[in-house]
Amino acid sequence: MKQLVIAAVTIVAAAVMLAPIVLMVNAAVRPITEILAYPPKLIPQQITHEHFASVVLDGENQLHFRNSTVLAFSSLLVSVGLGYLAAYAFSRFRLRGGRVMLLGILGILMIPRILLIIPYFRLAAAFGVRDTIPGLVMVNAAFTMPIAIWLLKGYIDSIPVELEEAAMIDGCSRLQAVWRVLIPISVPGIVGIGTFVFIAAWNEYILAIILTDTPATQPLTIALAKFFGYVARDWNSIMALSTVTSLPLALIFIVFQRYVVQGMTSGAVK
Amino acid sequence: MPPETGHTGASPPASGVNRGAGQARRSRWLMIRRELTGYSLVAPALLFLILLTVYPLMRTVQMSFTDLKAGEWIFVGLEHYREALDDRWFWNSVRAVVAFTVPALVLHLLIGLGFALLLNETWFSTGLRNFMRGLLILPWVFSTPASALMWALLLHQTGPVNYVVVRILGQSAPIPFLAGSPRLAMSSLVAINTWLSYPFFMIIILGGLQAIPPELYEAAKVDGANALKRFRHVTLPQLRTILLAVTTIDFIFTFGQLDLVQLLTRGGPLRRTETITYYVYKTGMLDGNLGYGSAVSTMMLLTLLVIIVVYVKLLSRGGESGETSF
Repeated sequence: MKQLVIAAVTIVAAAVMLAPIVLMVNAAVRPITEILAYPPKLIPQQITHEHFASVVLDGENQLHFRNSTVLAFSSLLVSVGLGYLAAYAFSRFRLRGGRVMLLGILGILMIPRILLIIPYFRLAAAFGVRDTIPGLVMVNAAFTMPIAIWLLKGYIDSIPVELEEAAMIDGCSRLQAVWRVLIPISVPGIVGIGTFVFIAAWNEYILAIILTDTPATQPLTIALAKFFGYVARDWNSIMALSTVTSLPLALIFIVFQRYVVQGMTSGAVK
Repeated sequence: MPPETGHTGASPPASGVNRGAGQARRSRWLMIRRELTGYSLVAPALLFLILLTVYPLMRTVQMSFTDLKAGEWIFVGLEHYREALDDRWFWNSVRAVVAFTVPALVLHLLIGLGFALLLNETWFSTGLRNFMRGLLILPWVFSTPASALMWALLLHQTGPVNYVVVRILGQSAPIPFLAGSPRLAMSSLVAINTWLSYPFFMIIILGGLQAIPPELYEAAKVDGANALKRFRHVTLPQLRTILLAVTTIDFIFTFGQLDLVQLLTRGGPLRRTETITYYVYKTGMLDGNLGYGSAVSTMMLLTLLVIIVVYVKLLSRGGESGETSF
């Protein structure tokens, strides 16, 4: 009985929390006359895919989609790649000043982006990376790398060092031992943290406003934000684009959810 | 820290007394080489972070002492700071950021903790419970622009929320949530921000709850403690560290939140939702007053630094091992 009550309370509360998402998908697949109908029509009378089609076939949106994909994958690569090396060193070597460095990285993790937008704006122009995807990748990676280092270090700490030692006794070099033994074992951790970094880069908005001006470099978040500029809002297109932008992410997340939750909580609980 | 470098690696510390001098020199060389390998692995990430965060931060501070006059950067000393302290809109933005952050933080914590407690109970079906957990994390996957648009439709004049307000609650006219009274606009922003942020609290607190040894609850039950007492005397003390960590981090994120204000209200109505972050963006980027914006940024940085340093100090008192504690 108590269990039923708990489940019921959770489901009702979750229904309230997820209503906006349902509304989004709902508005993407129904004609505008039904969405803005008053009183609201809860049950769809007509389902259409034309809004998705028009949003996906739009050339500019395709450009934004490509930019977001490149941005998210590159940020993932830079941040987890460099982050893994550093995490490995912090975990396996007793470095003088290592603790201070780790705490410094924790401090960097807490710096809000807003404090950096003004210098980024100037430095990007000075270094010739304004309105380029590499520029955007660098700043995104900088914001996700600290957390990647901390979580990966926690993950590598939990893997016994004897495994690498055994490989090195068998004649592997340190690099080979890491590549052939440690990295395969840390795949779940890398996947979890990678998903986290990917989502963060895909959803990034403020840095993109500061650093990009043209559709050739702007990610999808900017394309969405542009809708706020129009007086008359075409809710069908807006919600179709929102759905198309968020759905791949939701799918990636659902597939890798277990690893993400594991990665985040193992870092926090210790 | 003592220089015992060969701690966990393959080479055991080999500085025995009864070994030859040549061997001792050799092992010393191995130790140095080992440490160098470690530093060379840390270096790329560290240089990258310094170049992209520490250096720009220093430039912010530097810029706050200068002003752009006719294409020339001139040194103006503390002029911008004096100006800010006399600026009523600066104080307005400080007030707004407090009015935004405090209720948002309380709501994140309450909703996150509530869901975590519900999901930590035994359910008749573990599958259903895990499914609900997955669903409840979903808002976290949405970008701020996507969720801002969703909520704009939800809170629309003829949207579903206003339908409930007018038809069921019997209000005479639809409520203009984001463009009406300043208080209502701020509450809407807090609600949307909470929607985006509670999953983070939920996941971390759930992880913390699962780490509490069940024996503690059993012992409390034996002592005759009811559910409320068990929560107060077992759950809360056990969660203390995690709650402190997650609240500190969330405070800094919420305090630094710019996206929602920039998208939904642009500081209005009557500049009452103009938080300090939006004020930096407005003066620095929109008005192009880089020096002044940098001065406000620097003051924000100083405030945050106090909080960050206190937090890191608290954390490092916890143990000498440099253990991960988020």
